[in-house]
Amino acid sequence: MTKLSYSEAKKELEAIVKSIEAGELDVDLLTAKVKRASELITFCKEKLTTTDEELQKLLEEMA
Amino acid sequence: MMEPSFSLSELNRQVRNAVRDALPEAYWLRAETSDVRVNRNGHCYLEFVEKDEEGHSIIAKARGVIWSNIYRLLSPFFEQETGQQFTSGLNVLVQVTVDFHELYGFSLTVVDIDPSFTLGEIARNRQRVLKRLEEEGVLTLNRELQLPELTNLIAVISSPTAAGYEDFRDQLENNPAGFVFYTKLFPAVMQGERSEESIIAALEAIFQYGDFFHAVAIIRGGGAASDLSCFDSYNLASNVAQFPIPVVSGIGHERDVTVLDVVAHTRGKTPTAVAEIFIAHLMKTATEVEALQERLVSCTQALLVRERSDLLSLSNRLVHRSLLFLQRETAAVQHIATGARHSFRQVLQKEFAYMQEAMITSRHSARRLLDEERHRLMQVKRILHHASCEELRDERHFLENVEQFVRMVSPANVLERGYTLTLKNGKIITSSKQLHEGELIETRFRDGDVTSVVQTKGLVEGD
Repeated sequence: MTKLSYSEAKKELEAIVKSIEAGELDVDLLTAKVKRASELITFCKEKLTTTDEELQKLLEEMA
Repeated sequence: MMEPSFSLSELNRQVRNAVRDALPEAYWLRAETSDVRVNRNGHCYLEFVEKDEEGHSIIAKARGVIWSNIYRLLSPFFEQETGQQFTSGLNVLVQVTVDFHELYGFSLTVVDIDPSFTLGEIARNRQRVLKRLEEEGVLTLNRELQLPELTNLIAVISSPTAAGYEDFRDQLENNPAGFVFYTKLFPAVMQGERSEESIIAALEAIFQYGDFFHAVAIIRGGGAASDLSCFDSYNLASNVAQFPIPVVSGIGHERDVTVLDVVAHTRGKTPTAVAEIFIAHLMKTATEVEALQERLVSCTQALLVRERSDLLSLSNRLVHRSLLFLQRETAAVQHIATGARHSFRQVLQKEFAYMQEAMITSRHSARRLLDEERHRLMQVKRILHHASCEELRDERHFLENVEQFVRMVSPANVLERGYTLTLKNGKIITSSKQLHEGELIETRFRDGDVTSVVQTKGLVEGD
């Protein structure tokens, strides 16, 4: 999850939602897909609203 | 021979008089300002220059002055009209008197200014620069870039001390949605002749980080009108247009759209407006995530509802179909059973009839057979009777012959004729050798037996 970029996460999320909407998804896979989608949503929201301390530090250290 | 001569002051006075006589009025002059400076008395000193067509070399130059009493009025008027400080590098239309001073030399004294000319010049210059960028195919490059969905890592080009920079940061930090923004300042001179070079250097510094930053903000505090000419510069515009990261401009200019504003990805009027653009962009991004979340929930629910109803409908169909099937099968079995009973009865009746017929037939034929056999037996009996009578007759005849013969040869008959029989111990003796001297013998005659003792024994010749 850490390696994932925001846009990758968003794309994956969109793909999951579309596949469920299209009814292509096997019910057996639904739980796993919904779980993954929830993770992606959390990831995206965190990217928007949670400060990345590492990034902050990196910026401060920039010459 | 000595020609009459002038002292310098005499000569300069002559020039001064000649200039005043030749150019007695005030004249409208088109020129570019240069080296504009205001001294502490409020007088403005500057150079007027004219460049060649390409704008490279100066082909005419003259000193100029705006006395403080004029400058005090003229400067605010110019700024108000053009939105542009009266400064170097402007093409201006000024009304001047032409003076020559013995000590200070040639100089143009400004008495009036026409700001609309400068506006026109600025506009023309902008058009020229934009046309050139378009011809080079770079004009819209930055505008065509996509601002990443997550744009919260922003390189800021600003003067570090500018109020606009603080406004920008405050606005971002205190955004009501609580979005996180990361900013990194790349300081630059935002005013005056060095600004173009300084901003380009800052862009180059940002470029070093590749696509680390999501966007670049070029901001400058608003307020009083200022020198905007660097933001119309071809070099800066060309750099920004071709910059690989979206650039958002906010140079605090309400009225004009500079070349920078045109080539930038997005234009904000002020630094605060630029911050609002970034916040609005993240808001859109967040809304998209929210919308996806809602869609996820609703489509998952819909899917589950549908699956449940599918299951229900399947189970209903199953029950219904099973009942139908059972009914049909029961009916079929009943039908078969009825049919079978019927056929069985038929078969039985047929068999029974057949058997009865067979019985009758067999009784009949048995009787006939018996009759036939009886008849045949009677025939045989008749034949036998006939044949046996004949045979019996033959046999009787034969037997009569045999009887006669037997009678003839019987011992009684033989004895009759004189022959006797000799017996020993009841047995017929046929040879003298069977008898020994002293033994008792019986001799049988036709009319009785005699017992004798053997005296002698003699052999008959030939034995």
